[in-house]
Formats: sequence, C-alpha cells, structure tokens
Amino acid sequence: MSDAGPDGRTGDEPLPEEPIRVMVVDDHPVWRDGIRNDLETSGVATVVAEASDGGEAIERARESMPEVILMDLQLPTVPGVEAIRAIVEESPHVKVVVLSASGEEVDVLEAVKVGATGYLLKGSTAAEIVNAVQRVRDGEPVFTPSLAGMVLSEFRRVAAPGPGVPGLTPRENEVLKLVAKGYTYREIAGKLFISVKTVQNHVQNILTKLQLRKRYELMRYAIQRGLDKAPE
Amino acid sequence: MATSSDERPSLPAQPGRRGLWLGILAYRWAALGWMVFLAIGAADEFRRPGVAWLVLGATGVWTLWLSVTPGWDRPLTRWLDLGGCIGLLLISGVVVREGYTVGDHPFFATAYPVCAALTWGAARGVGPGLAAGFALSVALTLSRPINGVSLADATGAQIEGVGNGVVYYIAAGGAMGLISRTLGRASDELRRSQEEVLRERERVARLSEHATMGRQIHDSVLQALAWVNKRGHELGAETSVPGREVLRLADMAAQQERELRALIQSEPEEPPKERASLRVALDADARAVGEVPVTVTALGPIWLPEHEIDEVTAAVRQALENVVQHARATHAVVFAEEGEQGLVVTVRDDGVGFVYEEDGLRSRGKFGLLQSMKGRIEDLGGRMTVRSAPGAGTEVEFLIPEQEPASDLAADEGRP
Repeated sequence: MSDAGPDGRTGDEPLPEEPIRVMVVDDHPVWRDGIRNDLETSGVATVVAEASDGGEAIERARESMPEVILMDLQLPTVPGVEAIRAIVEESPHVKVVVLSASGEEVDVLEAVKVGATGYLLKGSTAAEIVNAVQRVRDGEPVFTPSLAGMVLSEFRRVAAPGPGVPGLTPRENEVLKLVAKGYTYREIAGKLFISVKTVQNHVQNILTKLQLRKRYELMRYAIQRGLDKAPE
Repeated sequence: MATSSDERPSLPAQPGRRGLWLGILAYRWAALGWMVFLAIGAADEFRRPGVAWLVLGATGVWTLWLSVTPGWDRPLTRWLDLGGCIGLLLISGVVVREGYTVGDHPFFATAYPVCAALTWGAARGVGPGLAAGFALSVALTLSRPINGVSLADATGAQIEGVGNGVVYYIAAGGAMGLISRTLGRASDELRRSQEEVLRERERVARLSEHATMGRQIHDSVLQALAWVNKRGHELGAETSVPGREVLRLADMAAQQERELRALIQSEPEEPPKERASLRVALDADARAVGEVPVTVTALGPIWLPEHEIDEVTAAVRQALENVVQHARATHAVVFAEEGEQGLVVTVRDDGVGFVYEEDGLRSRGKFGLLQSMKGRIEDLGGRMTVRSAPGAGTEVEFLIPEQEPASDLAADEGRP
C-alpha cells in the first residue's frame, strides 16, 4: 500500500519489450528532468515528449502520440484540467496521470472527472511513478487512497445529481472505501472473495460514473444558462 | 433547522404569522361579544338555557386562554379549537327550540366557528384552511337535523342559508391560507437573504484569517528555501558530502511541504461553536509523524466536541506511534467517516503485522500502548478493533457511537 496506489499486478506477466511512450508536462524543468530520469533508468518507459504549459501539452500530445501522459495541474496558458479534457477528447486511448504537488482536492477531482485515470503526489518515489505508468498503460486506474477518499466524499456530497445519473452500488462503495483505507486490489479481492479483475472493473466503473456525473452537471449548467440553444 | 412542516413550536414564530394570529384573536372577541349580545336578546327562545350559558362560558374561557397561552402555535391547540368550534355548531341545534334555526333568527354560534378555519389557514396554508372550513361546513349542515329540521324537506331558501354558511367557512379558510402562504414566502426570502449576508461576512472573515496564516507559512517556506539554497551550494562546493547533511535539508523541505499542504487542505467551512474539525486534528497527527508518510481522509466535514476530538486524535497518534515503532511500514492511512453506527476512524499500515491476542500481549508486557488507546475510546463509549496478521499489515478501528446531542438544534448544526 502506498499513496502511489494499490498494486494490482500479479507480478508474473512478462514486461513489455517496447518501452512505454510517455509525455511529461510540467512547468518546472527540474521536475521534468527528474521524472525523465526516473522513468528512463527503470528501462520500462521512454519520454517521447515534454511540455511546459497546457497549450504546448495539447500540441505535443497530438504530434508525439504518447501512451501515457504525466501531468502537473498548475500550468501556464491552458490550465491542467482543461488540457486533460482537450487531450482525452482528441485521443481517448491516451492515459493521463495527474502528478500534483499541491494535493488541491478540487483540481484533482476535476481532472479525474474530465478523463485522468490516475493521480500521484509529486513526493512519490521513482518506483511508485514507474509502477503507476505501467498500470495505467495496462488500463488499470491508479486510484490512490487519497483520491479514493475524494471520490467517496464527492458521491456522499451529492448522492444522485439527477435522474438517470447513477450513484455507487453498495459493492462499489465497499471497494472504494477499502482503496481509501490503503488496501491493494489484491488484498481487496481476498477480503471480498472476488477476483482482482473484478476489483479493477469496479474501480473502472466508479470512474466512469464520476465522469458521467460531470457530463450531467455540464449539461444542466448549459441548460440553466440557455447555452444549449444555437446562437441566432 | 427542523424541516417537518407541522412540528415547529421550537422555531420562533414568524412575525407575519403572529400578526395574523392577533387579528384572528381580535375577531374571536368580537364574535364572542356578538354571541353574548344575541343570546341575551333571544334568551326566551332557549330550549336548554343552562347548556346555552355553559357553552357561552366555555367559549369565553377558551378565548381567554387563547389570548394568553404561549402555546398558541401548537398543533394541539389548533385541533382543540377546531373540535370546540364543531361542537359549538352542533350544540347550537340543541340549545335553541326545535326548528328555530330555519327562520330569520340569528344563529346561536354566530360567526365564532369561522375562527377555526382562519386559524388553520393562517398556520398551515391553503389546503388545511380549506379542510377546516369543510369540517365546519359538515357540522353546520348537521346542526339542522339536530335542531329537528329535516334536510330532505328543506326549502330552497333554507338550503341557500346553509350553503352561504358553507361557502363562508371554506372561503375564509382558503383565503387566510393564501395570505399566510404569501407572508411565509416573503419572510422566508427575507431570512434567506439575511443568512446569505451573514455567511458572506463569515467567509470574508475566514478568508482574511486564512490570508494571515498564509503569510506566516509563506514566510517560513521562504526561510527554509533560502537555507536549502545556501546550504545546498555550500555542500555542492565540497568534495565529499555527509549524507546526514543532505537528509537534514530534505527533512526541512518535507516539513515545509506538509505545512503548505495543510494550509491548502484546511476545512472550507468553519465548525459550529464548541466543535472542531476532526480532519484538521488528524492532519496535525499525521504531520507529527515524520518517519512514515501518512494519508488522511475524512469523508465530509466531521465536527465533534473538542474533548472528543482530543481523545480520538490522542488514540490515533498512539496508533501511528505503534506503526512507526513496530510495523516497519512504508505508508499509513487514517480514514474517518460518520456512518449509521457512529464515527469510525481507521488507522491502517502496510507493515509486517502481528498476531493480535490481548492476553498474550499483556503477559509479555506489550499491551501498554494498545491498552491506553483502548481505554480512551471506551471512555467515549466506543470500542477498538484490531485486525492484523503477520505480513498483512495492521488495521486499528475505533468506533464511537454518536453521542446524545444536547439539543436537536445542536445536532442539526453539528452533523449536517
């Protein structure tokens, strides 16, 4: 268990031969260099692009086609959340991991709502960062205990924002709470007598529901402001 | 605030509704006076004069009581009033001589019963006002057969007389309900905007406090950065750097990082009086543990009385000390939530775990800290559960059932 998230890997699968293509987005060169170093020394990933602001991130993502993007949220020009929204919209297969120093909950939650599939604090160790990159590339959300707590709070705060917008099932709630308490996916699977894959599916469904809620909120906001009408 | 629509005696009565009530009260006295005046004039028409004067006396006493009682706004008062007015209508048919109610004679109960419809309309709105008016109408209609007048044989004029009464009662209840609803909405809006202003003021005060705190922390961060900068360059110039020196710089940076993070993550809302945020207290616990990174999650704002916070955080701190001393963990999580059973705080680590067996631990003299944690939580009426196994980390769970709230209001404010 760590703030880098539960380790759902079984450990016996062979490492991919091709290094994972990663883009690093941060306005501090020190951090970009540090992360590049962490990733490339591991041999698991290669940094195919770097960007220092949101606008650049959107462009570079288009050109260099990374598999995983490690991204700070406090960025000049286009804010991180906006950049994630744009990138995920354009290339839905790209996995975005938020790498944030602030731990500012609202921002992180927003980033996940618009499509980020992971969240790491900048204090994470090199091993945690590499592990997270591998896991999101394999389609597994990196749900740290603190992020799980934020998502739980979000679902508690507004149980169902509107008709047809699903809340969490009791099982999803249970899984999320265990993630928030720091249990790994494998430990959760053992506790609940289900497979690791099922735990991963639950976490993925929770993320999907969170994103659905976001879309519903945006739609309601648009309707309230009359923004859904075509301009004259 | 209590939201049930009827049981609101604890709320201060809205000035608008109090005004309506006083108006109705004045009307009651006028109607009572008119009743007495007419009764004196028609005393020789009474079939049961004793009952008549008894009823007048009772109505007088009831009106007097309504004029002085602080419980005027209670549902029970309204129900008694409606029952009394219905009784008054029914008894009217008994006290006057048979057939008296159909002529041009003034009615014994006069206009007094309409007060019940007005009161229900004023207190509960249109629907209940109409319903009370309807109940009175039924009683009015029944008062005719009680007086020996068969409704089947009634003339058009007689039916019209009863019909007028029915319309009068129902319209009075409904109209008063409408007035009351309008007044209620206006006063609700006024209250909302007053609350909005208050909240805004509090927010401004909080922000300025936040800004002051921010300046202090920014200052300490700048100091630390300046030191890291200076010492880093000095170390960089040396040929061999002692690891201890580098570690000291890293610790200094870590401390400032935690302080800044705490500033950002502090609770957005101010807790109510004599309560404090559990999360803020737990964050302080977590910061005090330098050796193992601790993630704190609290679902929603959890506000507890300060002594409860002290005990819970002391127990959590001991649990974290245990983690540092024995668990060999890489991370720990403190998780707090308020559920149906009460407050649950969990401290979990990913360390080596152990076999939790109280007697065994006690005999080996290793139960001291656990005993102390357990005692704190049990003093709060809660219980401690330890789940651990070698190699599987440890989870300590504190369950504290919700304390009996001092009053409903406090509970509403404290646990939104």
